[in-house]
Amino acid sequence: MSKYAVVGEGLPRIDGPEKATGQAKFTVDIKLPGMLYGKILRSPYPHARIISIDTSAAEALPGVKAVITGKDIGEVRYAFVDTPRYPADERPLAIDKVRYIGDEVAAVAAVSEAVAEEALGLIKVEYEVLPAVFTPEEAIKPTAAVIHENSLEGTSAWEEWGAAGRSHDYRAEVDIDNASARSAISFGDVEEGFRQADHIREDSFDAAATAHCALEPHAAVASYDPVNGKLDLWLSTMGIFLKRFVLSKALKMPISKVRVRHSYVGGAFGGKIDVFPYEFCAAYLSMKLGRPVKIELDREEVFTTTRQRHPISIKIKTGIKKDGTIVAQDIKLYADNGGYRGSGAIVVFLCHGFSFPVYNIPNYRYEGIAVYTNNPIRGPQRGHGAPQVRFAIDSQLDMIARELGLDPVEVMLKNVRHKGDVLPNGDKLNSCGLSDAIRGAAQGVNWTVGRSQLNKGEDCAKGSGRDGARFRRGVGMSLCSMFSGAMYYPFASAAMIKLHDDGSATLFTGSQELGQGIYTTLGQVAAEELGIGLDDIRVVAGDTEITPIDLGSFLSGGALVTGNAVKLAAADARRQLLEVAAEILEVKVEDLNYRNKQIFVKGNLDKSISYAKAIQGSVFRKNGNPIIGTGSYKGNPETDRYPSLAKAKGLFTSAYGFCAQAVEVEVDTLTGKVKVLKASTFHDCGFPLNKTIVEGQVEGCVSMGMGQALSEEIVLEKGQLFNASFLNYRLPIATDTPETKDGLVDSLEPNGPFGAKEVGEGAVAGMLAAVANAVNDAVGVRIYSTPITPDKVLSALQG
Amino acid sequence: MKRLINIVVNGEPHEVAVNPEQTLLEILREELGLTGTKKGCDQGECGACTVLVDGKPVSSCLVLAVSVNGKSIATIEGLSQNGRLHPLQEAFVQHGAIQCGFCTPGMLLAAKYLLENRPLPSEQEIKEAIAGNICRCTGYVKIIEAITAVAHSTAQ
Ligand code: FES
Ligand code: FES
Repeated sequence: MSKYAVVGEGLPRIDGPEKATGQAKFTVDIKLPGMLYGKILRSPYPHARIISIDTSAAEALPGVKAVITGKDIGEVRYAFVDTPRYPADERPLAIDKVRYIGDEVAAVAAVSEAVAEEALGLIKVEYEVLPAVFTPEEAIKPTAAVIHENSLEGTSAWEEWGAAGRSHDYRAEVDIDNASARSAISFGDVEEGFRQADHIREDSFDAAATAHCALEPHAAVASYDPVNGKLDLWLSTMGIFLKRFVLSKALKMPISKVRVRHSYVGGAFGGKIDVFPYEFCAAYLSMKLGRPVKIELDREEVFTTTRQRHPISIKIKTGIKKDGTIVAQDIKLYADNGGYRGSGAIVVFLCHGFSFPVYNIPNYRYEGIAVYTNNPIRGPQRGHGAPQVRFAIDSQLDMIARELGLDPVEVMLKNVRHKGDVLPNGDKLNSCGLSDAIRGAAQGVNWTVGRSQLNKGEDCAKGSGRDGARFRRGVGMSLCSMFSGAMYYPFASAAMIKLHDDGSATLFTGSQELGQGIYTTLGQVAAEELGIGLDDIRVVAGDTEITPIDLGSFLSGGALVTGNAVKLAAADARRQLLEVAAEILEVKVEDLNYRNKQIFVKGNLDKSISYAKAIQGSVFRKNGNPIIGTGSYKGNPETDRYPSLAKAKGLFTSAYGFCAQAVEVEVDTLTGKVKVLKASTFHDCGFPLNKTIVEGQVEGCVSMGMGQALSEEIVLEKGQLFNASFLNYRLPIATDTPETKDGLVDSLEPNGPFGAKEVGEGAVAGMLAAVANAVNDAVGVRIYSTPITPDKVLSALQG
Repeated sequence: MKRLINIVVNGEPHEVAVNPEQTLLEILREELGLTGTKKGCDQGECGACTVLVDGKPVSSCLVLAVSVNGKSIATIEGLSQNGRLHPLQEAFVQHGAIQCGFCTPGMLLAAKYLLENRPLPSEQEIKEAIAGNICRCTGYVKIIEAITAVAHSTAQ
């Protein structure tokens, strides 16, 4: 039996009934009296200079209330990354140049969406079309068109947060005009490591750009109150305080005059953390007009302009001993971040940061370069760099293992890190269940029985198969790791708990529900610590005015960072409650025990008081002081060791989540089509605060990872997106669902609340190589790029 | 030119003036304030806007409002009765079949139609019945479980 009453159980989520009945309000559902509708005019060219913009005809259209361009707004810049090394390079509306198809040029507010749309057609923009580049290979050529030519001045957000480190201009490190960021790190002696190796392989892999496909389209509603000078916002967001910070700075508003109000978010997966031009424009137009303004993007705009996963080209060289010990690895990669830096500086850091905790490689060198192209902007997406780099590393490791006649699973087991290991950056693995995860996932797909090709050595059957079978099956595995929150604005979370006269409580948290179940999970943490039931908790969240500051729901920090803050707040409230009870019962606090909202004197069960009575007592006895508990927690307590994006040094996170993912696939050798039959993910998320929610997170990740392994891909032709719809961008539908055999490894994270850590992101990353390895196991061909489409499989089979 | 149509929504008659180009989805959300029906794509490709018209599931973003004159429409708001969740709603909540909840209304109506017409569907039939409803959050596993659970409990 569990030693806990509320956490650990798969309790139904508290927002379930609201969502099941259609009552839950999402940003797209917000409608305010007098509300106007906004639309954005976008660049039809991948790279062009703006010569002139004439808005007069649009302004004259009946029903149009305002038209704005970059000139009206003036010098405003922001970006997800805004540091002295990487100054913000995005503007709400273009001033001089447009840099991708979809770049924002003007915005209209009108009485209806239809009128606003019509007005867009009346805006005349004269462009001078410039040469454009669409791949990193083109972009890094000395003759390539330069996408950002000006150096950017001003105080970065990072400096305003007081977190500035020493700044090195990355341009001094890399002689490429279109480079937007670089991370480089090495440890050990790589050349010496390769000399010790018995076997060395060098390969190149390419991972495709993919879309988040959150089902709720991005939207913003802004309502400015000219009398009080206050701006209310409803946003599609993963971090209300981060958006408030960036938007208030861009709008030149005092931060306390901007309020992000609660609405539900219909899925995010990383795609709703950046601040977007449509959000700025909704706010700006509302302030200009003194009326509420709503901008809702259509699905094509969501696909094109709200970020995508970075396509990354990875060169990897690995040296290994005969017994399977990895002795050296050298990785060099290029990430295409599109027309603006987006999260380019972060992804080239995370391709290392999310990956190096997996294997213990003594001699290692890594260089990641992000480049500008005239493609759509890339940003965070579930796993942020990990799926791409794990695809390369574990595909290659599988090849090496087979060449050495070793079982890939044994090779993985030989090289993975363990609990207690200290990573090269100084982070300590206080929990790490990778070995158990590998064994679990292997069993989930019957690894020993299923390894068809491996057992046959050289006889990798081609074409329709040696034995003439059209459908062939194989298994594959890959591993991954993930942070549990990291040092990013606002760096910490706080929480507050108010107790009520009836013994119930309200939790105030600045976290945001995106579907990940954070309100329920945090409610469980509070209830457990207070000794009450989940039914006794109401959660007030997602509102910058009434909740304490919060890190936000990205970088998977929800459970660990905010969870700890909530636990501390609940402990604080409980302490106050017990003190009052001790006073009333005239005993010492140490003599008290509590259960089921009742406080007892130890060894004297007759002497007791209910929570309700004690809380009421507090109001009487302490001059009306009701009980309010507070708590706060910082992701990484050692402030002087912020991670450096450039050198990948410093402490990254308090805890790493890990998982092993294995799949069994069936390959149709006639069509090249691959189907995932079984997927088995074993996750080390520490203690699962809510089993059902944890399972749901893993299942969602597996589905997304499977889609990205097999079919999902942003198709671009000279910067133009060709599949910006659900019909043409093929994400998994219900009939694609494999049989799942997931499990959690027994693990407790000492830094986490009740031992919990990350769960929502990791399990995408292992799916890509797991599928690629399984395809190879089935039919003996290696696919070096995602997605693994029937075309690629077929031509490999024939080749 | 607006036209008057008469529709019955969740059992209640409504007379609505609609533009010829307005979709049923727009009317439900904008005119009747029934925002439980969601717009995920407005192109008939995601199923978030699924409602039942005379008992059959349709993508309301593809249906012109004028064409449903005289018909009866069921939306998510009508699924629970007297404050009691429908067994499918209850099962979705209990089985963790809801995450962000944006696909949920459409998914529930598609499932309702399935179970009304095929009380004991196979797993494959369940998958096919909701194949037009995209869910990015759950990977469908718990949705399929929830529908299966309701089918089995009503069969008993
Ligand atoms: S909104 Fe109708 S199918 Fe997507
Ligand atoms: S629960 Fe989010 S799309 Fe289905």
